[in-house]
Amino acid sequence: MSDKGKKEAYITYGELVPGYEFPPASYELNTALIAKYVKAVDSSAGKIAPPLAIAACAMATMSGALSLPPGVIHASQEFEFFKLVPIGATVSCQARVAQKITRTKMRMLVLELSVFNEDRERVQSGKATIVLPIERADAE
Amino acid sequence: MLSEICEGKTLSSVVREITQETINLYAEASGDFNPIHIDESFAAQTPLGGTIAHGMLILAYVSEMMMQSFGLSWASGGKLSVRFKAPARPGDTVTVSGKIDSIEHKNNILYANCSLECCNQKNETIVIGGAVVKLP
Repeated sequence: MSDKGKKEAYITYGELVPGYEFPPASYELNTALIAKYVKAVDSSAGKIAPPLAIAACAMATMSGALSLPPGVIHASQEFEFFKLVPIGATVSCQARVAQKITRTKMRMLVLELSVFNEDRERVQSGKATIVLPIERADAE
Repeated sequence: MLSEICEGKTLSSVVREITQETINLYAEASGDFNPIHIDESFAAQTPLGGTIAHGMLILAYVSEMMMQSFGLSWASGGKLSVRFKAPARPGDTVTVSGKIDSIEHKNNILYANCSLECCNQKNETIVIGGAVVKLP
C-alpha cells in the first residue's frame, strides 16, 4: 500500500504521548489497490471500496510513521462506517494516540483513526488497541 | 442479503482457510509487514511460537459476513467492536458466525444489534464481539 503523504521520519513508542497526531496520509482507492486487497481477503470487488480496505489504509497511516518493536499484536478493534466510498476515490486518514497504558507485563497503545472523503466528510472512524512486548518496548 | 431481518436470525457464516500465502498476500495488500505475521523464524522465537494472521485479515472476513447479510447498510451505517482472544495461524480454518440479538428503534431509526464470533477448527474462539447496523 502506498500513500501520497508518507513521511520518512519515524516516532518510537517511548516518544509517543497521548494526543500525539501522526502525519496524515491520503490514499487513492484505485482499482489496482482494491483488487489486491480483495484477492488477499478472498472476496470480490463491487463498485464501492470494502470498508475494511479503507480501514487498512487508516492503520497504515499509523504504522507507516511509527517504529514499533517486532511482535506487536492487536488486542481489540472498533470501527464505525458512515458513508460509502466509491472505488477510485481518494481518502484522507488521520491517526492519534488516545491512550498509552503501561502494566506490569505489557504495554498498550490505544489509537484513534479517522478517514475523510474528498468533501471532508467523515466516512469511517476506529479505535485500535495494540499490545507491545515489554522487553523490546523497554529497549526503544 | 438476509431475506428477513428479525431477532434471533442467524447470519450466514463465512469460512476461510488461513495459509502463510494468505497472510503474505494480506501483508502486501495492507503494507503491514510486522514479522510476527510473515517471518517464520522470528515468530518461532516469540511466545506465540509461529506466525499469526493479521487481526485485520480476520476482521475482513467478519466484514464480509456483515456485507453478505446487510449489503451496503453495513458499509454506510455499520459499527463493529471486537476483541482478539487468540491468534489465527497458518493451517487454521476460520469460521465467522453471527446472530441478530435484537432490533432497536432509536429516533425513528431501526438498528440491528448482532453478536459475532470467529472460531478455529478446534472451536476455539479467536475473535468475539458485536456489531450494530443501521437499517434502511
